[in-house]
Amino acid sequence: MNRLDALRGTTPQKPHDARAIAALAANPGCSRRALMDGAGIDKDAAARHLGFPAPFGQSPFAITRGNAFEALVKADGCAELLRMLRDLLGLPIAEVAYHDVENVGAHLRHTHTRTLIDRAVRQEDAGTVYDHPLFTLDIAGHTAYLEPDVVAFQLGGRFHIVEIKSFAVIDGQADPAAVAAAARQAAVYVLALRGLLAELGHDPLRVSHEVVLVCPENFANRPVATLVDVRRELAVLRRQLTRMTTLDRLLDGLPDDLTFDLLPGEDGLPTRPVAELADAVRGAAARYAPDCLSTCDLCFFCRDEARQEGASDLLGRHVRDELGGVASVGEVLGLADGTRDAAAGQEEIARLLRNAERLRRECLT
Amino acid sequence: MSDRLDDLERRIDELRAGVRTAMRARDTATARTLRAELRTAERTWDTLVSGDGPATEHGPPAGNVPEESGQGAPRRARAHGAAARRGDGPRLVTVREQVHQALALLDAPAQARLIVAVSQAFFAGSIRSPQLTSLRRDEERSFRSSPYGRPYYLCAALTDRLSPARGLLTVSTWPAERRVVGPLSPRVDFLTCALRVARHLGGLPGSLPDGDRLLARMARNIPGAGDDAFGPPDPGRVVEAARRELRVHTRRDTRDRAQLAKRATSQLDDVAALFGAATLSTVAKESSTMRGGR
Amino acid sequence: MSLLTSLARLRALDEGIAQPIATVRHCHVSARPMVFIPLKLSGEAAAPLAAMLGTDRDEPRLLVVPQPRNRDLRFAWAAELAGVLVPYIETFLASTETVARKNADPYERAVDAPQLVLPNRAGVAFTRLLGRSTRFRSLDGPYPVPMGVPLLGRWLTYFAERAAYPGSSLTLCATDELGRHWASGQSALEDANLAALVSWITEGPNDDAEDPLIWPPAGPATDPGFDAEVLAPAIESESAERVTEALRTQLAPTWRLMWRALDLLRGLREGAGVAQRWEQDRASFSGMAAQVTEGGPPQARRDGAIAAAARLARMERAQAAYDVQRAYDDPLIMAEYRLTGEAFAGEVVENDPDNTEGEGRSRKLRPLVVIKTDDPVRLAPGTALGTPERRGQGAQLVSARDGLVTIKITKGMGRAKTPAPGSVPEVGERVCYTSLTDDFQGSPALPDPEATPWTHGGPPQTYVPTDEDAQEEWS
Repeated sequence: MNRLDALRGTTPQKPHDARAIAALAANPGCSRRALMDGAGIDKDAAARHLGFPAPFGQSPFAITRGNAFEALVKADGCAELLRMLRDLLGLPIAEVAYHDVENVGAHLRHTHTRTLIDRAVRQEDAGTVYDHPLFTLDIAGHTAYLEPDVVAFQLGGRFHIVEIKSFAVIDGQADPAAVAAAARQAAVYVLALRGLLAELGHDPLRVSHEVVLVCPENFANRPVATLVDVRRELAVLRRQLTRMTTLDRLLDGLPDDLTFDLLPGEDGLPTRPVAELADAVRGAAARYAPDCLSTCDLCFFCRDEARQEGASDLLGRHVRDELGGVASVGEVLGLADGTRDAAAGQEEIARLLRNAERLRRECLT
Repeated sequence: MSDRLDDLERRIDELRAGVRTAMRARDTATARTLRAELRTAERTWDTLVSGDGPATEHGPPAGNVPEESGQGAPRRARAHGAAARRGDGPRLVTVREQVHQALALLDAPAQARLIVAVSQAFFAGSIRSPQLTSLRRDEERSFRSSPYGRPYYLCAALTDRLSPARGLLTVSTWPAERRVVGPLSPRVDFLTCALRVARHLGGLPGSLPDGDRLLARMARNIPGAGDDAFGPPDPGRVVEAARRELRVHTRRDTRDRAQLAKRATSQLDDVAALFGAATLSTVAKESSTMRGGR
Repeated sequence: MSLLTSLARLRALDEGIAQPIATVRHCHVSARPMVFIPLKLSGEAAAPLAAMLGTDRDEPRLLVVPQPRNRDLRFAWAAELAGVLVPYIETFLASTETVARKNADPYERAVDAPQLVLPNRAGVAFTRLLGRSTRFRSLDGPYPVPMGVPLLGRWLTYFAERAAYPGSSLTLCATDELGRHWASGQSALEDANLAALVSWITEGPNDDAEDPLIWPPAGPATDPGFDAEVLAPAIESESAERVTEALRTQLAPTWRLMWRALDLLRGLREGAGVAQRWEQDRASFSGMAAQVTEGGPPQARRDGAIAAAARLARMERAQAAYDVQRAYDDPLIMAEYRLTGEAFAGEVVENDPDNTEGEGRSRKLRPLVVIKTDDPVRLAPGTALGTPERRGQGAQLVSARDGLVTIKITKGMGRAKTPAPGSVPEVGERVCYTSLTDDFQGSPALPDPEATPWTHGGPPQTYVPTDEDAQEEWS
């Protein structure tokens, strides 16, 4: 049996969505995350079972607003979108053909997407805008299905991914974190569509690295489109996906019997003893950073672990860099107090720490 | 009385906290139970606080209350009252008649959103989008039980696979060519709708703010139909601009639709010709894939 | 973040309680601050949901939009907010002092100024958006708004802008100010949670701070669980009381925290430079008030090229001045410069108060002082030095070797033949000298706005709010 499948055991595989795939690149140094994602573990369920539920949730208001905005952009044969594409990219008036891929049943949608895209490239059929296409992407040997609530469109033989987001652009500026997340997600779709073209024997570079980001402008509901270059995101994503196909090295370092199986019962709820699962998860090394708190379902578990280990990672990259990479809290304080001797290579940071400690004492007494 | 209210408020707070804790642990079974208790407690609180004494007849009988979409949970007394205040009581014009009115004006397949806007702007309509979701199914059921028993049916537009197109409504009395949609049809139909709205508005005496707003929204997406200027758009100019763009698409769209209509007439039975070839169950099947969130 | 602060964070982690990283308070805390906690509707850019605000901790005002998707109710809420904030702001205009200026007419400066206190940076950002979405509105025309709303927008915009101005205390962001004075044992990201940070400072870390059922988020975003389970049903019930009570539960805990945060800051002795910076705040506030009174237009959507460059230069100078002032005011901040060798402190071991240089009429008093220090001095001979102990004086580094630093006092000795008593450090006195000084290069030579080069968009057009600004939907 595939070693990754063994890690997952009897737990059903969690399909990757674009956001999850985009998040793979968030903390590339974390073996725990790479292994669990590679094996398709439901990290959210695991975290809950471990007693550290993830701190994420989406407000129903945000969901409603998102759906309403998407519907507005796509209403009446994508009338708003066509206006923006005509303005932004000079889409010719004749280019209006609209395909609602969701008109076919879910099980047919990927095949239908393939057919439509192939016909468009061969110019056998009018095809400008594709609503709700279904792409696939290979993640560590498993096929992930991606359903962009996005539209792909082509202009002059080139496809663009359109990403519709409901965060506002105000006086030409949007929340940079939100834009970055949208770019990462769009990059996943670009990669998937390029893969599809390659499979069909077409040039993958027909998919532009410039995606069209559609957001509401100012405080009105009126959508506005911006071109976003996602080359960097693509590069990071590719590197991370390649890494995931070469998990062997990480797997070699694991005990043979290690598994993250939740042992779901008949009702789907995990039955695995919590302590046992916790031990297994600890068997794969994590690299906790405060950024995990906004990207990874397991963050509270790993933070708790870092606390118990007294790791300076808890305080963030800046602090760790400032401390010259000395990893444990006890070690740093020992060097500062002079109760611990500097190991080879630590002389300089030890001298700085002793000085810092002396100055703090002098100023605070 | 106020002691009871205090107790109830405490209880409501506890239950709310319980629901949220359960939801955070994704323990839906517990959350459901607690939510039910919460609703009961809230109902009692509402009754007590409004001083109506013990809950007896409250609000209109259930039958008169317009059904809300989706929410399986019983709606509370106060909400019933609110709904009645909104004037959703007995309607002179039914939902299907209002939809028909709007579609007759538009003269092309349209989405619920546009139908509602037209109905509100020109017919003082009271329909809301969620009311349209079950309409098509009801019409199909009615047609199946007594075919052609009504002068018209509100039905689906058909795709190039002759299946029902998502979200597009048509009228059974329209010619088949108008009830099918090819790749260019959504654009052609949008332009047709804009043109019809502009003509209708242009023919009215005086101004109609809701109509102006609707036309302005449509005109914005048609090249040359209006500057981005505020103020009411010029209907004549919108008609002109819509016609200009229609000339670009019409020939190909007419050809596509004629072919589709021919296929529909030769391949489909009466029900499918109006409501689409796919069975309702396959359409309703939800995808198991994850959607990219926002 | 400096090594000193990092060390303090580790110490906090080890001891389970936040550690001081300042010995004095570096911000002004008003006697009558306006605590302002806004909430917004999730998923919307600037749809207000509620705000709890007021100057009296026992009397918070709660303003609520009972149906957040209703545009009229949002503006009614903004009008209510204006009804609280604008009168508060205007009370400070009653009492002014006349300030004389070199090469300019004297002007009137308010003797005190308003102070807005927000929980976190997201709250400041939301205040900016609220300002942006209300300041261009007009009282008549097709989309009229209630009186006071456009004025509120201008003030909110002003306060949000001042929040970004280094050293200004007109707008305080509670998490930022606490974080400037205490190092917690958690990451900067987690410090953005007001409940968590206050807990670290007062009693030590507590995971309850992350439980929205115990400590609701300090806004402007609400907890998604609250939205789903409490707020949505309340809004649907169309009961204004129920929405109000629901939102009160989310705001009241933060309200108490905000006053706790102010208490903590007030517990610190005020730094010497705070009054001077507050004076600049008062001048800025008076300038803004004058613009409003004189009927000036609302702040533009975006700065022109020259205005943007000038603003940037102003902010950089303010930042540099703020950094220097804090170091001079606070030995613990100065310690950061001592650690990097840009400052040193120690005991005077020898002095020559009567040393002179030059002959005849150009003969000048240049006292020499030798200081013994444990600090690693990394300053070259000839470096100009200043000292917090004698701010009017300037000195120069003569030599630094083996923990002994010789300096020469070069400025502020007066014309007398012998030094005034106390003007030269005595043997045995502890002193500190640094290369940090607050005489900065003057403002960069920027052309007048009228002479903006075409590469930068040409001269800006005078900003005239358009009808479009006023009619923008607020959806």
